Amino acid sequence: MQSFRTLDRTRILPLACGLAAGLLLAARPLGAQAAPVVSGRMVLATDGAHAGSTVKAALVAEVTAGYHVNDHVPSLDYLIPTELKLEAALPLAPGSAVYPKGTARKFAFLDTPISVYEGKLVVGTQIQVAANARPGSYTLKGTLNYQACNDHACLPPTSLPLTLTVKVVPRSVGLKNVNPDVFRGIKSN
Amino acid sequence: MNKQIKILSGAVIAVALAVGLYFLNTKWIVPATAQRVNAAAKHPPAPAFDLTDINGAKLSLADYKGKVVLLDFWATWCGPCRVEIPSFVQMQQKYAGQGFSVIGVAMQDSPDSVNKFYQEFHLNYPVAMGSSAVSSLYGGVFGLPTSFVIGRDGLIYSEHTGTTSPEVFEKEIQQLLAEKPGSDDGSFMPAGPEQDIDLGTPGEANADVPGVDVSKLSPVELAAFEKQLDQAKCTCGGCKYSLLQCRRDDSTCPVSRKAAKEMLEKLRSDKSQASNKT
Repeated sequence: MQSFRTLDRTRILPLACGLAAGLLLAARPLGAQAAPVVSGRMVLATDGAHAGSTVKAALVAEVTAGYHVNDHVPSLDYLIPTELKLEAALPLAPGSAVYPKGTARKFAFLDTPISVYEGKLVVGTQIQVAANARPGSYTLKGTLNYQACNDHACLPPTSLPLTLTVKVVPRSVGLKNVNPDVFRGIKSN
Repeated sequence: MNKQIKILSGAVIAVALAVGLYFLNTKWIVPATAQRVNAAAKHPPAPAFDLTDINGAKLSLADYKGKVVLLDFWATWCGPCRVEIPSFVQMQQKYAGQGFSVIGVAMQDSPDSVNKFYQEFHLNYPVAMGSSAVSSLYGGVFGLPTSFVIGRDGLIYSEHTGTTSPEVFEKEIQQLLAEKPGSDDGSFMPAGPEQDIDLGTPGEANADVPGVDVSKLSPVELAAFEKQLDQAKCTCGGCKYSLLQCRRDDSTCPVSRKAAKEMLEKLRSDKSQASNKT
């Protein structure tokens, strides 16, 4: 070991450089993975909105099989909650989110079950359209913040970027309900 | 005549010396060098880092040269990381006197949470706040916990991602502690796999057969597959587990993962052939 370094330093340097280069080539940055653990999109309950009204919206997400994310109200104080955050952008103002109840699951690394989201995750919310909003398309931006684990390891906290476009139409134009399956299961605030 | 004898004697001595040196070189110097080259190639050097620990002291890996180090990348928000910590505290207590230390590097965490955890769980080894720069030095940290076992010579002997049994760490630490600084490290056999350990694709990270993508199997097929795995012995060496047990108890075992994947592939191929016939 140590004696090797004194035996032939000229050979060690290229070898060490080669090893370092190999390590760098094999490097996987923090949080890097084949695909995000959570995918999803925002949807509306109607195909448009009127000025001065409130329209129902929801995040429809899918947690990859084998992984879980924490409940919005985590079972343990050190766990990072799953959280939907939407930024207000005039004339749209998001309301508070309605999270589903998680599933109690027991994992190898804990003695007691914890509440988590697995598989399909639907988070409801409402979007208030300002009374003076002119007809047109408006986009809200936001994120779903989560931290995923499987039974043996955890991935760093991350965010799923989200956008929601709301088409504001004149009051004379009727609105059609869309995505009924999504909104059927959401409890209102 | 005398002169001729002297010349002849000199030539014989020269030849003997040359032959002696040749044998010395081929039988001792070259193999010894080659063995060490192999050891160094097999075990990459642990990249140096300088951090400040949570008590404000300098934490430099270079200061641990000559010691066996368990470098643990962890976080307080990570359940699988927290479960390992009490055994690290015990190992620190047990082996510190023999030249061993755990070093904790907390990733994507807040100093307050780490401090609180440090006090609450009576950590007896240095812990510093990490950064992506430090994790990048170690090839990036894919999942937490990720631990590296570093020998007295500053080389990385094993890498473990995910919860790892304390027995695995202890076996490796004992083996490396037994190596004196400057001694040959060719006998090191990692208790766990030493590199290329990952969580697999998201589909492979499941509770039923970790490391094997069973998402496309129906519940009936999955049950049949699990039964098949449970009937096969794991050949990873002395664990006496079935393949299924080995997958579930040590998801980082590459032997059972490969065997289980091959078994699944065969199952798929048999199914495909059967459907072609019908």
